[in-house]
Amino acid sequence: MRRTILVILAALVAVIALGSAVVATSGDTSTVTRPRLERSLTTNFANQYADQARIQGRRITPASLHAKAMCDKAGAENNDVGPGGDWNCLMSWTDPEVPMPPEGYGKFELNVHSNDCYTVGSPSKLTGFLTMTDAEGREVTNPVFEFDGCFDPNGDNTPTGVVFPSLLAVASTTITPDAHGNAGVQLTCGSGAKGCAGTIAVTAGDTKLGTMPFHLAEESTQTLQLPAPVPDGAAEVTFTVQMSTGVGPPKPVTLPVQGS
Amino acid sequence: MSATTTAAAPVDTSPATRRHPGALAPLRWEIRKLRAQYRAKAVLIGALVLPVIVVVVIQGQSRPPKDTLFGRFATDNGFALSLLVLGFAAQWVLPLLTAVVAGDIFASEDQHGTWKTVLTRSTSRAQLFWAKTLTACGFAVIVLAVLATSTIVSSVLIVGHQPLTGLSGQTIPAAEALRLVAASWATMLPAMLGFTCLAILLSVWSRNPAVGIAAPVVIGMVMQLVGALGGVEAIRPFLLTTPFEAWHGLFADPRFTGPLTEGLITSAAWCAVCLGAAFVMLRRRDITGG
Amino acid sequence: MNDLLAVEATGVTKTFGSVLAVDDITIRVAAGEVYGVLGPNGAGKTTFLRMLFGLIRPDSGTIEVLGKSWGADGVGVLDGVGGFIESPRFYPYLTGRQNLEGLALLDGGVRPGLLEELLELVEMTDRADQKVGGYSYGMRQRLGVAASLLREPRLLVLDEPANGLDPAGIRDMRALVKRLANSGLTVLLSSHDMDEVEEICDNVTIMKRGTVAFHGTIAKLRTMAPDPGHLLATTDDTRALALAEQHPALRVTRDPEAALVVTGPTPDVSAYVAALVRNNIDLLTLTQTQTPLEALFFMLTDDTTHQTLDRPAELAELAEAAR
Repeated sequence: MRRTILVILAALVAVIALGSAVVATSGDTSTVTRPRLERSLTTNFANQYADQARIQGRRITPASLHAKAMCDKAGAENNDVGPGGDWNCLMSWTDPEVPMPPEGYGKFELNVHSNDCYTVGSPSKLTGFLTMTDAEGREVTNPVFEFDGCFDPNGDNTPTGVVFPSLLAVASTTITPDAHGNAGVQLTCGSGAKGCAGTIAVTAGDTKLGTMPFHLAEESTQTLQLPAPVPDGAAEVTFTVQMSTGVGPPKPVTLPVQGS
Repeated sequence: MSATTTAAAPVDTSPATRRHPGALAPLRWEIRKLRAQYRAKAVLIGALVLPVIVVVVIQGQSRPPKDTLFGRFATDNGFALSLLVLGFAAQWVLPLLTAVVAGDIFASEDQHGTWKTVLTRSTSRAQLFWAKTLTACGFAVIVLAVLATSTIVSSVLIVGHQPLTGLSGQTIPAAEALRLVAASWATMLPAMLGFTCLAILLSVWSRNPAVGIAAPVVIGMVMQLVGALGGVEAIRPFLLTTPFEAWHGLFADPRFTGPLTEGLITSAAWCAVCLGAAFVMLRRRDITGG
Repeated sequence: MNDLLAVEATGVTKTFGSVLAVDDITIRVAAGEVYGVLGPNGAGKTTFLRMLFGLIRPDSGTIEVLGKSWGADGVGVLDGVGGFIESPRFYPYLTGRQNLEGLALLDGGVRPGLLEELLELVEMTDRADQKVGGYSYGMRQRLGVAASLLREPRLLVLDEPANGLDPAGIRDMRALVKRLANSGLTVLLSSHDMDEVEEICDNVTIMKRGTVAFHGTIAKLRTMAPDPGHLLATTDDTRALALAEQHPALRVTRDPEAALVVTGPTPDVSAYVAALVRNNIDLLTLTQTQTPLEALFFMLTDDTTHQTLDRPAELAELAEAAR
């Protein structure tokens, strides 16, 4: 019996070693790729969305949505290949009754498995929560809130060419100057092509503090020093963003000053 | 002993001209033995009854098991429920069901010391090998058919036959869904036969029914685990558990069958290697026990 | 047909790992004879019989059975052969009858009615429909004989058929083997019991540690047997020992257990005993230690006795015979 167990263990070790050797020599051979995911997700989403509309008593065909997606795995610096729970997809579609936000897309979170199947979590602001009300007023499951899909591991792997701009946001909620009035503000740049760049004009009340240029990589965070000290007694600071790459907040962002 | 001497073997000085068993005789013998075993009957009854229990239990859940494919629809769609059971069965139930017979069919001869009993008749080792292999494979087919039928019928009857949402979000009409579900269960066969051959190899090699039955299940679970890891996907095509997931393509739109073909090749390769090794082992072996 | 050898094994050798189980043995069994292979446990008898049945592949040498060989005829070698190796084994979850029916399938069918006749012959008719799992050792042994005869063999190979049976079972089994032998069947019998072989066999091969220690007829074996030994206890062993000097044909020694061991031809032993009585030495016990053939068997197969034997001439003859 002990001999048997030993041999089985040895066989398993051999299999795993062989497997590792195969992996080591073959490199990135995952069938989970960005183009396949983008193609599968848009079809899948359009069907689910049309189903949701049907439940609500609306008539929408999947094709009329013109859904487009851009997927990205775990930040800009990684290859967009392989299974994982860190896939994000930006998707836009056309529904007259549900306009897209200013950046023009919603962000979907995907958990992709090595067997080429995935689970999608949808942005509830655009697609609703776990349950929804149907045309007759009953509480039913929202098909779009979370859904599964699988794609063909041998499917079309040419890039879809869909690109969305990154979304810049001001992450700080207050401005906290030090003894000299110097302060910083934190910016984040979301998923999207090419990252975020542009200038921010900063004013404190009526005082112009100047402009700050910025350049953030996709999916990164950066703290910028305000161009001039915040004057004593200023209650709030306003940031007006001018984007050259990516999209930013359409209206000026005003943050309260703390500790003065 | 009695004085009945009539039966004492007659003197025969002619050259040995004995009838030889037909090709099917060893097979009939193996099937007869299998039918006399409680274990085989228990497995078949289990395959018939357990799905009904599982279906009733899952249907009674307030929260559907979302972490498995089709799980989120399982409590209100019979087709989804039978696919959920399918995904679960592929993890270890199918290897176990076939290994109960295939892992025992050679090793039990060691256990009962009966190799010498059957090998001193007019049947060659090769004939016995193929008879046992065919019996084990035949049993795999039957147990899969029973399990599939029981699962599909009970889930459709108990939960219902609503249209099914496919893996591309498309709606699949009930009649089509039934065909696809049945086809999905049928696609389990190649890999299940692969596990049958693996169990046969382990049965011949270990001469121990417990190893023959348990090891394929453990190996199956390890392969499942390895196949689910990210980063080692290059070995997925070689794993015997990968064909168990090939049915996914049937529920996509457009449908894809590449994994089914690849699964067939993988399973056939496993079968060929395992049976070849088992055959050589049995042919060369010195039967010293019993 | 009589010149056809039932078994012709030539130069057969088999090792298991580093253990030499059978070392270059040659055995020829003529058709129609009852042949014994005798040896203590571990002498290689069973390994030889397993090779004959193709269960074990010899490392070298050839085995022909009824003119067929494994190389040329495959499983066809066994066409005229029936028998069992060590204790016969069956499927415990099947009845005796089902077991025999299944084996008949593997034989390619059986003459109608034979199965019932055989069950009758081995007195298993009443128990045939019970599962073998509940059988006693003797019942399995009898079913094994039936299973062997089911093949209507011309060569019957029985490995220790009486092993593990009670005295009545041993008697019945020997009677059965004798009856089968009288019907003209060639019988190859292995045993570790000299009595059994002496009673049944015409020719015998005595094996020791994988080699042949003796090969010939039972009659020849008898002539080579040493004189019987007797254990003698008297009221005055010292005087008895002194008296022995007047009987040169006898060898009398003192046993560690304070008795005397007397070895020599039976008439001389009688004369010696009479002399003791005449000299007012009373006999307390007089028992035969071993039958002559038993004594010979132990001599042939036990290494340690070789040094203590005092008949070098006979030993040389034995060695000659073994060659």
